[in-house]
Amino acid sequence: MILKGKTVKKGIVEGEAIVSKLPFSFLGDLDPQTGKVVPEGHDLQGQSIAGKIFVFDTGKGSTVGPNVAYQAKQLGNTPAGMICVEVEPVMAMVAIMNDIPMVHKLDKNPLDTIVTGDYIKMNATEGVVEVIKNS
Amino acid sequence: MRLTDEEKRMFQGEYGSGTQKAITMLIEYGEVFGAEKMVKVHNAHTGVTGGQWTEEMLAGVQNVRAFTTTHAGMAGSAGRALGLKEEFCKQAEAEQRKTLEMIIPRGFIPAMSCAPYMIGNVPTAGRAFSWPGSQGIIVANSVFGARGNRDAMPASMSSAITGVTPDMLLMQKQNRYGQVHFRIEDLDMENFTEADYGAIGYFIGSAAGTKNVVVEGIPENVSFDMLKFFMSPQPVSGAVAICHVVGVTPEAPTLEEALGNRKPEESIKIGPKEYREGWEGLHSAKNDNVEIVFFGCPHLNIAEIGKITRLLKGKKIAGEVRLFIATSEQVHVLAHNMGYVDTIEKAGGVVVSGVCIQGFPYPQLKEPANTAATNSARAASYQIRRGINIQYGSTEDCINAAITGTWGR
Repeated sequence: MILKGKTVKKGIVEGEAIVSKLPFSFLGDLDPQTGKVVPEGHDLQGQSIAGKIFVFDTGKGSTVGPNVAYQAKQLGNTPAGMICVEVEPVMAMVAIMNDIPMVHKLDKNPLDTIVTGDYIKMNATEGVVEVIKNS
Repeated sequence: MRLTDEEKRMFQGEYGSGTQKAITMLIEYGEVFGAEKMVKVHNAHTGVTGGQWTEEMLAGVQNVRAFTTTHAGMAGSAGRALGLKEEFCKQAEAEQRKTLEMIIPRGFIPAMSCAPYMIGNVPTAGRAFSWPGSQGIIVANSVFGARGNRDAMPASMSSAITGVTPDMLLMQKQNRYGQVHFRIEDLDMENFTEADYGAIGYFIGSAAGTKNVVVEGIPENVSFDMLKFFMSPQPVSGAVAICHVVGVTPEAPTLEEALGNRKPEESIKIGPKEYREGWEGLHSAKNDNVEIVFFGCPHLNIAEIGKITRLLKGKKIAGEVRLFIATSEQVHVLAHNMGYVDTIEKAGGVVVSGVCIQGFPYPQLKEPANTAATNSARAASYQIRRGINIQYGSTEDCINAAITGTWGR
C-alpha cells in the first residue's frame, strides 16, 4: 500500500512501525535514557520507539520537547522516522532539530491503515510512505 | 518561501554556519505550516541548553538580532539554598558558567526567568515574539495581543540569531480568533483567589485541547496576576496558546469580535461543577502532611512576595517544613531592598532566583521529600504527573500549611 502525504522533515528511511493513537510529548512521555514510553495508561507504556517508524496522532505539551529528543538522539533513542496525522509546532521542531524524517497529512489516516509490526519504507522528501503489511 | 536579500545572505552562509543553520531551520519550520515569508521578531526569549548544539548554533554569531532574554533553569548557588546535593549544584554551576561565557558576549540577557514580561521583555499588540515556555506564550498572545507561536527552544534560538520568524499560524489575525467558547455562570468570582482562577483555567485547558479559547464572565476589573494564574495551566492540561477574555483582553472587546463573527466550534458552560472538577484534578496528596511549600510558577513579582512577607511577619514556619519562593534576579534584589527577604528568612523560608521551581529536581534533595503544597495550578499539574503528592490552594492556604505543618484547607 502507498500513502501520500506532506513533508515535515526531508529524508529517506525504513523500519518497523510502532503505532500510538494518542498525542505525544517528548517531555514526559519518553524516557530519553532508554527510548521507552513512560506514563502509566499510555498505549505504548514500556515499549521502545528507538530506531522505529513512530506513528502517532499529533504533538502536545511542553516546548522543551525538542531538547529532550536531542538528549535521546545522543543515546540513539529517537525514532528512525515519524508519521503523524497532523503536526503542531513543537513536534515539527522535534523532527527539524534532530533530523528525523517525518511526514503528516497523509491521504489516508495512518492510525487506521498502519499497525505496529508493519514494515514502512518512507521517502519523506517526496512525502511517499510504503506500508508492507506484516500478516 | 520568499526571502529578503538579507535572509538569502544568511541562508548562503555569509554570516557563518550558526546563522545559516538558524535560518534553514526557520525556513523548514515555516514550510510545514504554509508560511510564504518571514516577519521581524522584536522580542525573543530562549533557553540555552544542549551544550554542543548551542555551540553549533552560535558558531560565527557576533550578536543576537532581537532583544533576547533567557529562560529559567537551575542556578548552582540557588540549588544549595534549596538543599540539593553538592555534586548536582557543582555541575549546575559549571554549566551555568559555560553558558554565560557563550551568551553574554553575543548580547543575550541572562535573566533566567520564565516571566520575560516582568524583566522588560514586553511585546506590544500585533508585534511578533518568539518565546519558549507555554506560560509566557499564552500571556503575551492573550493579555498583550502580541503574536507568537508555540515555539520550542530551537525555534526561539533561531529567531534570536536571525531576528525573524515564519509568518504562519498565530502570526496571522485570521488564525487568532476564538474557537471554543466558555461561559462562566453561577459562580461568585468577586473573592476568587489565584487558586480559584487556576482551577478554572486547568478545567478550560483540558476541555479546549489545542484550540483557541474565548471566555465570557470574568470580571472586567480582573488583575494581571489573576489572569496569569488563570492562563498558565491551560497549556499544561491542554495546549492552548491564546485565551481571549471578553471585555478584558485587547482582541476581545466583544464576544463577536473575539470569535471573528463566526460561530464557535463548541460552547461550554463553567459552573460550580466544572469549578470543583478543576480543583479535584489539582490534588494528589493522600494525607495532610506537608514537607515543601513553594511559590514561583510563574516567577513571583514584588507585590506577590510582599503579600507572602506580610503573612509571615513575626511567625515561624514549622520545623519540618521547607518554604521555597522563586523569582527573577531583579525582583530578588528588590525584595532584598524592601526587607522582604530578611523577614522571609527569619520565618525560616528561602528566596531563590534563576530557578524553574516547577521543574524542581526532587531526587537531588539531600533530605528527601515527595509532598508539596503550592498556589500554582500549572506547577501542581506538572508535579502530579511526576508522582509528587500535591496540595493545592491560595497563598494564604499555603502559608498556613507552612506555619502549622499540616494542610488545613
